[in-house]
Amino acid sequence: MSPPAVVMMVLICGFIWGGFWAFLTRAIRREGDKQRVDQFSEG
Amino acid sequence: MSANEQFQSRWGLVLATLGMAVGTGNIWRFPRIVATNGGGSFLIAWVIFLLIWSVPLMIAEFAFGKRTRKGTVGAFIRIAGEGKGWMGGWVALCATAIMFYYSVVAGWCIRYCVAAILGELRGVDPEVFWESYAGTTQAFWTHAVALALAIGVVWFGVRGIERVAKVLIPTLVVLVVILAIRAVTLPGAAAGLEFLFKPDLQALGDFRVWLAALTQNAWDTGAGWGLILTYAIYMKAREDIPLNAVLIGFGNNAMSLLAGIMVLCTVFAINPGARDEIVGAGNEGLTFIWMPQLFAQMPGGRFFMLLFFLALSFAALTSLIAMVELAARNLMDAGLSRRRAVGIVATAGLIFGTPSALSLTFLNNQDWVWGVGLMLSGLFFALAARSFGVDRLRREVVNAEGADLQVGRWWSFLVAVVIPVEALVLMIWWLWGASVGKEASEWLNPFNPGSVGTVLAQWAVALVALLALNKWMSRKTMKGGESL
Repeated sequence: MSPPAVVMMVLICGFIWGGFWAFLTRAIRREGDKQRVDQFSEG
Repeated sequence: MSANEQFQSRWGLVLATLGMAVGTGNIWRFPRIVATNGGGSFLIAWVIFLLIWSVPLMIAEFAFGKRTRKGTVGAFIRIAGEGKGWMGGWVALCATAIMFYYSVVAGWCIRYCVAAILGELRGVDPEVFWESYAGTTQAFWTHAVALALAIGVVWFGVRGIERVAKVLIPTLVVLVVILAIRAVTLPGAAAGLEFLFKPDLQALGDFRVWLAALTQNAWDTGAGWGLILTYAIYMKAREDIPLNAVLIGFGNNAMSLLAGIMVLCTVFAINPGARDEIVGAGNEGLTFIWMPQLFAQMPGGRFFMLLFFLALSFAALTSLIAMVELAARNLMDAGLSRRRAVGIVATAGLIFGTPSALSLTFLNNQDWVWGVGLMLSGLFFALAARSFGVDRLRREVVNAEGADLQVGRWWSFLVAVVIPVEALVLMIWWLWGASVGKEASEWLNPFNPGSVGTVLAQWAVALVALLALNKWMSRKTMKGGESL
């Protein structure tokens, strides 16, 4: 693969897959926080 | 809202919406469009439009559904006023017209899945197999099967949709990942990655590349179709909007990238000499004629062909389910019970999908007419949000309690200004492109299935009918069903 293709692959895949992963982990964390708050208020 | 008509968890909502977004377009259209539009340069434009078209519209759709708890017609009435119910009717009509032929496409995928299981494609010329199947009564029966599967899920309400999505979407992701790994490990696959990612900076000066990127984004994320709005009806009151929207937008495009890698690496590794012919063969040609040929030449090809058509079938079915739910939801808003509404949608789908099952020309005509119509749907969402007050929608719904991200004023600007401009430019370009294309002399002939004339004629009939029925539709919708 040529260097420009490698750079573009890293940038595009990094942005899309990295972005997806970052948003997913944030959602998982926030969901965990919400469940803890709900359990606390029920208790 | 009854507990039965609500997503039980955030992940149920996210997976169902991701299932709606990830369809056959991600797997069979995206690789072709990238390959014919400058590879890496196209991807830059594609990422930009994810951020300035798809994600803002997805947020708007979530906001409409969560605020109004009504299907497309009722949501447009509640957001923009009684006079604008026809706009919601247009959104519903476009998505439903697409559903009629999409169930035929889903049927094709299921048929090829069965053929891969039974080994029917072994030793057979895929072109002969395709010719003896597409457009015949066999295609009608597979259309009926696909529709029955989708109806069977929607029959049980949002709980059925959630349960199916929780199984099919993770399986789909695993299948596509396995296929992509297999493709990149084939000898010669690096040429496919080079073709996919090599930037051609000159291509960025070509407006057609930008418009192809916008079109691809609009189609493969499902933004502006009304389907996200429909699922948002069933989200919990304290559910987040912005984080879910970006998560689904990025997740959908991550799947497209995997599909692009899978298809192009397979093509380049197995038959590099025929790459132009393969990517130029159209959606059906690439998927149902070329891919079986390529898999046949690959070690363990029968197994990977089965995984490929299984992934395609899952992608098609989860999108079809969302389209059936959209149509049924509008009927339920008019006062029908879920079962009666779903029964009507099933009957209409079977009848109106039949011409597409029996004629590829008819199917391609419907794809052309209602595919362009989706741009108008996106425009209507932006206009309705403007009527309500885009910034008010942002403050009162998008950033309301439960939001995991706070959306800034940039979103209001994108929805109020950028999206209407994008939609108008895109539609004018498409119509212009058709008017100066190969059949320029025929461009206004409404009986030519690929002309601008057929688009305008069918739109005119639909718009006149919707405007004439606007008051009746508004009365039925606002009186018929109780807000959830």
